[in-house]
This record gives sequence, C-alpha cells and structure tokens, in this order.
Amino acid sequence: MNIDFRFIVTAFFEIMKALPLTLVITTVPLLIGFAIGIGTALIRLYKVKVIYKIADFYVSFLRGTPLILHIYIVYLGLPLLFDVLAEKWGWSIRSNSIPLIVFVFVAFSLNAGAYMSEIIRSGILAVNKGEIEAAYSIGMTTSQAMKRIVLPQALMISLPNLCNMFVGLLHGSSLAFSISLMELNGKANVVASTNWKFLESFIAAAVIYWGMTILAEKVTAILEKRLRMFIKGGVA
Amino acid sequence: MIRLKNIKKSFGKQMVLKGIDLTVEKGEVVVILGPSGSGKTTLLRCINFLERADSGAITIGDLSVDCHRATKKEILALRRKTAMVFQHYNLFKHKTVLENVMEGLVVVQKWPVERAKERSLQILEKVGLSQQIDMYPSQLSGGQQQRVGIARALALNPEVILFDEPTSALDPELVGEVLSVIQKIAREGITMIVVTHEMGFARDISDHVVFMDNGVVVEEGKPNEIFHAPKEERTKQFLKRITPEWRYSI
Repeated sequence: MNIDFRFIVTAFFEIMKALPLTLVITTVPLLIGFAIGIGTALIRLYKVKVIYKIADFYVSFLRGTPLILHIYIVYLGLPLLFDVLAEKWGWSIRSNSIPLIVFVFVAFSLNAGAYMSEIIRSGILAVNKGEIEAAYSIGMTTSQAMKRIVLPQALMISLPNLCNMFVGLLHGSSLAFSISLMELNGKANVVASTNWKFLESFIAAAVIYWGMTILAEKVTAILEKRLRMFIKGGVA
Repeated sequence: MIRLKNIKKSFGKQMVLKGIDLTVEKGEVVVILGPSGSGKTTLLRCINFLERADSGAITIGDLSVDCHRATKKEILALRRKTAMVFQHYNLFKHKTVLENVMEGLVVVQKWPVERAKERSLQILEKVGLSQQIDMYPSQLSGGQQQRVGIARALALNPEVILFDEPTSALDPELVGEVLSVIQKIAREGITMIVVTHEMGFARDISDHVVFMDNGVVVEEGKPNEIFHAPKEERTKQFLKRITPEWRYSI
C-alpha cells in the first residue's frame, strides 16, 4: 500500500477551508453552553424550587447519552416541535427553512451546558467558604457575594476544565457531518471521495485537529500561569 | 449599644449556647474568654447571623432582631452595622489588598470609587500596609493578611467589630503586629467584641471581660476583677491553667 504524501498536503489546504465552520460550531455552543452551565449550576446548588429537578434531569440525561444522539434527536425532534409551535402561534416560517447549523448549535449547546454545569458547580464548591462568610460579614447580599466573590474565583478554578471542554467540543464537532454539515471531518470525506485517497485526507484532517488542540493547550497554559498567582499560596 | 438577650443555639443535640445575655456599651471593648468549645466563637457568629441562633434577641443601635424570626432584610441590616475579623483572615484571594478594603464601601455602601479608594488608603496606612496595596493576599505574611482583614472591617465604619480569635492562626512572631493594630483602633473608641486566647492582650485592651464555659456566661466584670480576683471557681481554674505561675525549686 502506498501513501500519497503530496496529496496529504493538497488535502490539508483543501480541508483547511472548513476550519472556520468548525470553529464556529465549536465556539458558539461553548459560549451558549457556558451561560447554560452557570445557570444550571446555580439552580442545582441553591436547589431552586421545582426547576432544580428539571436541571438535575437535564444534566443526568445529557451526560448519560452520547453527543451523536443529541444531534439526531435535535435534528429529528426540533422540527416537529417547531412546526407545532409555528402553527399554534401563527408564525409564517416552517421547520424546513431552519438552516442545518441551528440544529448543531442547539445540540452542542445543550451538551456543552450539561458538562459545563458540572465543571462550574465543582468550581463554585471549591471556593473557600470563609470568603463567602467574609462577604456576608461586610453586608453583601447572596447575589452580590456570588457575583463579586464566588463566581470570579470559581471560574478561575474551572478554567483548565473549561479549556478541556473546548477541546472535547472541537473533536465532537466532527459529528456535525452526520447531518451533512461540511465542517473539517465532512470536508475530509468530500476531498477524499474525489480520488478515493481517504487515508491521506483523514491524516490531513487529524493534523488540523491536532494543531488546534495544541493551540488551545498553549492558550490554557498561558492563562493558567497568570491565574496561579491567586490560586496558589496564601492561607486557607 | 449592643444587647444580646437570652441567645440559645444548638448544633443537633448539643446545646452550644444556653441562654447568653450580654450588653456592650458604645466605645467599649469586650473580651470573651473561655476554654475551647465554650461557645464563644459561636456567640460571636450569632451576632452577625453567620450562625442563626435558635432563639433570643439581638439589638444593635436602633435595630432589634428576633433571632428565630429574623427576615433576610433584617439580617442584612444587622450585618451592615457590624464587621468581622476572622481567625483565618478570609481575604478575597482574587482581589488586591486595596480592592479587599474597598469592596464593602463600593459594593455595599455604594461609595463612589474615588472616595472609597481615598478612605481605604487612609485605613491601610493606619494598619501599616501602605506599601502593600497592590499585592494579592497570597503574597502577604499571615500578620499582614490579618491587618488587611482588620482594615477591611474598619473601612466600613461599623457600629461594632467582631474579632474571632484574630491571632490564633498566626506564627508567634507575627502576633505582636496584629495585636498592636487592634490596640491602636481600640483606643480610637471603636466598639469591639473580641474572642481571644491572648491573656495579656485581653487584660490590656478590655474594658469588660466575659468568661464563658459550656455555653453559659460564668462570670463577667472589669478586667481587674476577673484577672486578679475572680469569684467563680471555674474562672480561677481556667486562669490558673492559662497563665500558670511556674515555680521551680532546684
């Protein structure tokens, strides 16, 4: 068996064209998921009446099922839900005009939100209780203490895990091809199918994913180094 | 003026405070002494509702709160009349020294930032930390951290500052610098309730001494009376053990 090294290079540049889309379907859900994650973590920590049960279910179900199923379920289920609502509220658009990327955003955001809520929750729990008491002792309300004292530190503590989340989601985004979105993995398949050099094409795609991952790790390392000042050292 | 009336508190089956009454006049420095587990820290934490007492009433200035029924709003109002210095400092680790001191002024008392900064700088100078304002707590010694803790409490100009064993976590060499700062602000007429194990310090700074054991106030009075002529047997016993008069015969 021969490997066509020159085609790896050709494929690399061809596949690179899909990198922006991969980054979009990684970062947008990461940001939406982050917001969902904070909300879910707070709801579960404070055991907000009734909805915390829903939050528990959400986290348990999403973490208990694979990402590919989230994509399928959203892809097949969301149009049904949308059309029912559209009929009820008299919207003029129907589900067949929803762009593919929206399904990916929804599925990935829900998935990322569930995982990130656990990351943030453990970050919040890791903040020194004494500082929360100190915040109360100077007269802060619960939400002031959360916003000013707890969350900033919880997020710093969570940062390495959140960056891992980015890497996980980056790799997970390759599943978007399953509903025929042309991201890196999709592009690799298409490039390969022109001359059946799948191995070369996938190696090229792997290099791109790997490079992005190394970049993310580098950024994390720099951020962590900056934050270590607060987290390390000091008393209690 | 601060008045505690019949404060009771249990943790599970164990009754930690069995009905404490205490009056602190404005400008007075009250020191609470007692063996470990006597309930002194719990009492202090009940005053600003870091622990909610099961029953009793707390009056600070013109605000009276029933411990059992206290609403969130009342608790907040009470906390805004008090400040606390903690055994483990509990500084905000992600904020600089200056930000730690400004935080309450800006966020709670809604001072404009510039004014809050000015006041915080004054207070940090008073506790001898003018050189450290831009450092983070983890870069400071224990004694410096505790002085930031004191500055943070002082900045709010509270009606009373509660000190919870402020030197217990410090290296022996660093105790002095913290005690002298506390003494300095005590002289300025700030009302203070201090839980401490430093007997010499307690004697020097206090206007009134309360000796607690086993959830009750055993004895209270002027420092002279308590330290030199305690009436209760339990007090005598405690003071003897804590300030032993060693006699060596060779």
